[in-house]
Amino acid sequence: MTLLNDIRDYPWTSLLTGLLPARLAGMLPARLQSKAAQIVPSASIAGHALTVVIAIMSFLACLTLGAVYMVNQSANAWVNDISSEITVELDPINAADIEKKMTLVALFLAKQKGVNRVKPLTAEDSAKLLEPWLGQSSALQALPIPRLIAVEIDRSNPPDIQVIKSALTQNFEGVTLDDHRRWQAEIKTLTRSAALAGLAVLSLVAVATIAVIISATRSAMVSNRGIIEVLHFVGANERFISREFERHFLGLGVRAGLMGAVAAALAFLLLPFMMQMLGGGAVTAAETQRLIGSGELDLKGYLLCVLVVVVVASLCMITSRLGVIRVLKTYA
Amino acid sequence: MIRFDNVGLRYGSGPEILRDVTFHVLPGSFHFLTGPSGAGKTTLLRLLFMSLRPSRGLIFVFGENVGELSAGGRSGLRRRIGIVFQDFRLLDHLTTWENVALPLRVMGKKEADYREDVTDLLRWVGLGDRVHAYPEVLSGGEKQRAAIARAVIGRPELLLADEPTGNVDPAIGNRLLRLFVELNRLGTSVIIATHDYGLMEQLDAPRLVLTDGHLQIR
Repeated sequence: MTLLNDIRDYPWTSLLTGLLPARLAGMLPARLQSKAAQIVPSASIAGHALTVVIAIMSFLACLTLGAVYMVNQSANAWVNDISSEITVELDPINAADIEKKMTLVALFLAKQKGVNRVKPLTAEDSAKLLEPWLGQSSALQALPIPRLIAVEIDRSNPPDIQVIKSALTQNFEGVTLDDHRRWQAEIKTLTRSAALAGLAVLSLVAVATIAVIISATRSAMVSNRGIIEVLHFVGANERFISREFERHFLGLGVRAGLMGAVAAALAFLLLPFMMQMLGGGAVTAAETQRLIGSGELDLKGYLLCVLVVVVVASLCMITSRLGVIRVLKTYA
Repeated sequence: MIRFDNVGLRYGSGPEILRDVTFHVLPGSFHFLTGPSGAGKTTLLRLLFMSLRPSRGLIFVFGENVGELSAGGRSGLRRRIGIVFQDFRLLDHLTTWENVALPLRVMGKKEADYREDVTDLLRWVGLGDRVHAYPEVLSGGEKQRAAIARAVIGRPELLLADEPTGNVDPAIGNRLLRLFVELNRLGTSVIIATHDYGLMEQLDAPRLVLTDGHLQIR
């Protein structure tokens, strides 16, 4: 009930006016303008430097969260793709018979239960797969590049991979089957590592934000000690006094959080162009796309940035509240 | 209402400022607190207001043992006490009206419910034309009256005033004394710390006299 009362009694209109520059706040409808003067003046709380620091923290948090989200999305899409496909590889041992062997293997695979589609890749297709790393060169044609057959399997009724693998080994020389399980495991490891690294960065950002808010709260309380004493004299309790401070820090958190989130959103929007501007070629683009997909956030990704604003603002408010109450206990 | 039992107070390891102070303040009573400078009047007021803890002895305020109260409990009792400081303690960034309304705001009352009361009280203490003025442009006497208005706006059960007429001319001083007497008639207990014998002679009220940390009631 106390929490509900707190929410009901919270001076939300003062938060709204606190978010806007004074000139714009003055243009708000009268019912949205805070009538009561601020007991703790905004100017005594924190300067632009604190807002910039918190904005940078939010920016870093959004970038980290967005990057982890994109890696996760990309990895999921990749795992989905490769788990519905197996690849059969033919060693180019006897180049003269390779086309015939491709046809025989493809026909054999097409007959297997649980196989939806068989797609033999031409020599040009195989060479193209190497182009991002080796470049466009006629020398590729001369290299003994393995030939590949992509096999799409029915995920609802998958074939027995081991049986197909044994049959291929027995019937065809130099033919191997890759069910991509090793890749799936590696992608999952990569995703987990990215998530853990992201979590570590987010934790550091949170700790830094808390530390800077604690410091700012203490400074604010020192510079407003006279006001706090007067509030004590007129019977204000710790909750009232802490609320007078925390509303400033909540406003600051929302303002700085929004600044950081908008900057991060712009960074994500411009990421593909930035890679081009920085001279990233086909390999960079291919590697980046492999890692983070298209490099653009979807709606859920942007919602994560909004979540960062909420978390940063809450962190500012709660930290300042606890900081004020802790300092007030030393006054009594 | 207030009870001091053998209260002593020393700052750190220094000498005792107050020694074996014992007295009662009954509801609806009126007291002057007097004594030479440095006798401990302000310290005694701070003990009464619970902004200091005694080194020894017991203090009961509104029947509560102050030593056993939580911070929240002390805040609750302070709302029932009005205090006027020698140095006024007005908030410089608030107008006179906002300063006076502060205790009501702290109590959680709605501005619409007290707007007229605050304005009327300011008019009564002679600050009707200084409602929107900030403390930095008020004279010493005006600040004093604003501080008194802030102390009494919440109709406290106990009013503590430290030299409340020290910065005002005799006419305003008499008017303020009438305000204290009027509040006292309405049931508020009043303790006024003062050097002003002229003020004390206007009223037949018991005097708490502090000398070298000892309290006598005359």
